[in-house]
Amino acid sequence: MKQPIEMYINGEARSVTVDPYRSLLDTLRGEVGLTGTKKGCDVGDCGACTVIVDGRPLNACLMLAVEAGGCRVETVEGLQASPDQLHVLQDAFMRHGAAQCGFCTPGILMMAKSLLENNANPSDDEIRFGLSGNICRCTGYTKIFDAIRSAARQLQETPA
Amino acid sequence: MNKPHVPVEARRAFTIVGQSVRRNDVLEKVTGEGLYTADINRPGLLFGKIKRSNVAHAKISRIDTSKALALLGVKAVLTHEDVPRFLHYGSPHPRSASCTRDQYILDDKVRFWGEGIAAVAATSEEIADEALDLIEVDYEELPGVFDIDSAQAPGAPLIHEVGPGSNLVLPPVRVERGDVENGFAEADFVLEGVFEGGRPVPAYMEPNVCMADWDGSNKLTFWTSTQTAFMVRGSLAEVLGLPLNKVRVLVDHMGGGFGAKQDLFQHEYLCALLARQTRRPVRMEFTRAETFIAGRSRHPCRILLKQGFRKDGTICARDMKIIYESGAYGSHSPGVTTVGTNAATSLYRCENVRLEGCAVYTNTPIAGAFRGYGVVQAYYALDIQMDEAAERLGMDPAELKLKNAVREGDIAPSGHPIVGRGLEACLKHGITAFDWIAKRTETPRNDPAQPAIRRGWGVGCEMHGSSAYPGIREQGNATVKMNEDGSVTLLTGAAGLGTGAHTALAQIVAEELGVTFESVSVVHGDTDVVPWDIGAFASHTTYLVGSAAKIAAGKLRAAVLARAAEKLQTPTEALDMVAGRIFIADAPDRGLTVADAMGPSKGIPADHLIETGSYTPTKSYSFAAHFVEVAVDIETGLVDVRHVMPVHDVGRVIHPIAAAGQIEGGIQQGIGHTLTEDYLIDRTNGRSLNAGLVDYKMPLSMDMPKIETVILEAAPDPGGPWGAKGVGEDPIIAIGPAIANAIHDAIGARFHHYPITPEDILCALAAQKKE
Ligand code: FES
Ligand code: FES
Repeated sequence: MKQPIEMYINGEARSVTVDPYRSLLDTLRGEVGLTGTKKGCDVGDCGACTVIVDGRPLNACLMLAVEAGGCRVETVEGLQASPDQLHVLQDAFMRHGAAQCGFCTPGILMMAKSLLENNANPSDDEIRFGLSGNICRCTGYTKIFDAIRSAARQLQETPA
Repeated sequence: MNKPHVPVEARRAFTIVGQSVRRNDVLEKVTGEGLYTADINRPGLLFGKIKRSNVAHAKISRIDTSKALALLGVKAVLTHEDVPRFLHYGSPHPRSASCTRDQYILDDKVRFWGEGIAAVAATSEEIADEALDLIEVDYEELPGVFDIDSAQAPGAPLIHEVGPGSNLVLPPVRVERGDVENGFAEADFVLEGVFEGGRPVPAYMEPNVCMADWDGSNKLTFWTSTQTAFMVRGSLAEVLGLPLNKVRVLVDHMGGGFGAKQDLFQHEYLCALLARQTRRPVRMEFTRAETFIAGRSRHPCRILLKQGFRKDGTICARDMKIIYESGAYGSHSPGVTTVGTNAATSLYRCENVRLEGCAVYTNTPIAGAFRGYGVVQAYYALDIQMDEAAERLGMDPAELKLKNAVREGDIAPSGHPIVGRGLEACLKHGITAFDWIAKRTETPRNDPAQPAIRRGWGVGCEMHGSSAYPGIREQGNATVKMNEDGSVTLLTGAAGLGTGAHTALAQIVAEELGVTFESVSVVHGDTDVVPWDIGAFASHTTYLVGSAAKIAAGKLRAAVLARAAEKLQTPTEALDMVAGRIFIADAPDRGLTVADAMGPSKGIPADHLIETGSYTPTKSYSFAAHFVEVAVDIETGLVDVRHVMPVHDVGRVIHPIAAAGQIEGGIQQGIGHTLTEDYLIDRTNGRSLNAGLVDYKMPLSMDMPKIETVILEAAPDPGGPWGAKGVGEDPIIAIGPAIANAIHDAIGARFHHYPITPEDILCALAAQKKE
């Protein structure tokens, strides 16, 4: 039987009716219509589906939508404050060439956001460890590290 | 050779080419708004799934779909009895030399474990999955062959009725230059080795996906994640019996391809057929496991390499036999075999070469096109053997490689002369910048602070062609439009795999035209709209399509200047255009903007201008030398790549950050190939053993070394825009032998295979102890 749930997605209350076996990822991409979050494996191995739920980054493919009922869910679509004001991380990813095909990018952006929220000045090792669950197959990660370091610096200078 | 248009005026300093401008497709990528194929929805969408065989080699004696069809929500089921029996190339270069016509959309014979045998369309993915289980299949199993040796054994079961027989995909490729016997007779010593390569997969992050929709006029619209949209169009039209203008292929963003997404996959045909049968849109999306099982890997291989050397380090003879394992279908084996075999004529100079390349069918998943296209394997062997020769000669390996490096005027694998001295430039630069000699000779291998660690340094080299010449005569096309307000639209068929190709093309257009980068927008990914394109592969987009775009932009510049001349009442030759402003060269204050030139003025209505460019290149070669440091843990066998300095010659760099990104991503994949990645097939029954991202181990954020990328413009090629050559495939080739050579430097053990696992390291160390 489908179940009605309510989530606060990127600050907005959304009601959806979902099958109890439906993942948060499929619900976001399907019922909710936010396709920015990507499906690279659907089994928790790649991090492309990383979203932030009640302040914690997790793989949306591993969480049932019904478990997210009542939760605050942040996705890549909510990163920018307004249509013409990007998040510092988004801007840094563009400047440093951190997105090639871009398929891993939404997940990595959300993971990086969470990382910087918990650790404003991460060391290189902490950045590497923070991204250890996010696969990027295009970049060799070098430009992603550059972007996150630069965003961290910028956030410290002018906190968002 | 069709040389690109030479601009009339003398070249000013570059203003856009060579700048890391903001990529024109990246905003959508960081906001999540970019549409990848799986993000697109249609009303009434059905979900397609494929039933896969659970045996490796068999005749299907019975297949019963009645129960599946009876399931509520199932709209269609297709088996080999329901689809056109059409032998196709499995890859989108019909009638080219690269591919093999040996696949049916669905067959009554199964040739590998996991091959698709039926397809279902249903109203949800869950129902489609359930329906797959309801399809009943009886197999008459056939004996299988699961490796090169059993496939080539006398009396081995034959996998295909087509082809030259003996499980060969194509007749052996033979290349001979000079006199090999004489060469060996002159040698002071001969080195001989057997090299083996595993089965790495591209593992692009976006699983293969497509969606088909037919309209009332019997026209197919087909969204798919492909590098070769026009080839998909051609192949689908051929199979479906449609004219090309009744198949429209669309691809906007795609999540990587690395070469493999230039095949036309079984699910793509089936998706179109399911949609036709149900008259509803159908989407088919691979699971991650399917990207392994039904995707395309690099060809596993065995190489026998024998070279004769003189005391001064000259190579006097080279004899190589390379056997590629093609898996159950030919796919790109003819191309891979030809390119890989011919590659061994070069890199290190040798006048007497005898090469033979074969590709062999086995009952395993299909090997196809993958970044490095047969060359990764050949140069792994060649470069490691050069290292062995240096050791034998008591010479520094970088010095020996430099001495033998291919150079200006040498005959390239493609048969035409090499331009410039790119490889020497890369080696020389790296020897100094990496401080190679001091590292190799003055740094102790032991690290007192970490007693289990042995350090080592290695260098590996490569060269790789841009364009598939001479195998395929390519054509690059571009249309450039100047709108009435002075903005510019570039139409290109080149795919955007993620490399930044569209940005590079827009830079080339802006530079040649004399307008700002921001004023150029790019339309791509719609076969009904953009000019024909051969596909994004062979590291050729910048070289091939870039040249076409430059030609078109050059013509457009002339047309715009002619229009401005009319308005300014001055001869066209007197005009110049920079950053969107047209002015009289001798009186720069007198001029007008491009917008003014294009817009209406008294007596002259507004205009827009369209120009096209077409370009048929031969080939250019890019070069690289990779210098690496590894740390080998002699207790665990783990190899840590600590530092890589890739030095690449790309002729002319269009977008430095994008070029560096290609290099660094290639190194990541190459480290994986060499140390951890291998898609394993059970050699007794053909089953996949590690079709997932946890069991198939790729280098991730914790594993990446420090990379100091160096890009040189040492040997510009006249065939590319301002000398630009490709860079996409090169980086994955040189890193492998560099790592293997560095491991040898660290622990004294030579490895002739990849991946080199911790177990291999520990076994080699144990064997050393015994000696
Ligand atoms: S899609 Fe969720 S981890 Fe891969
Ligand atoms: S940019 Fe392609 S996977 Fe990360």
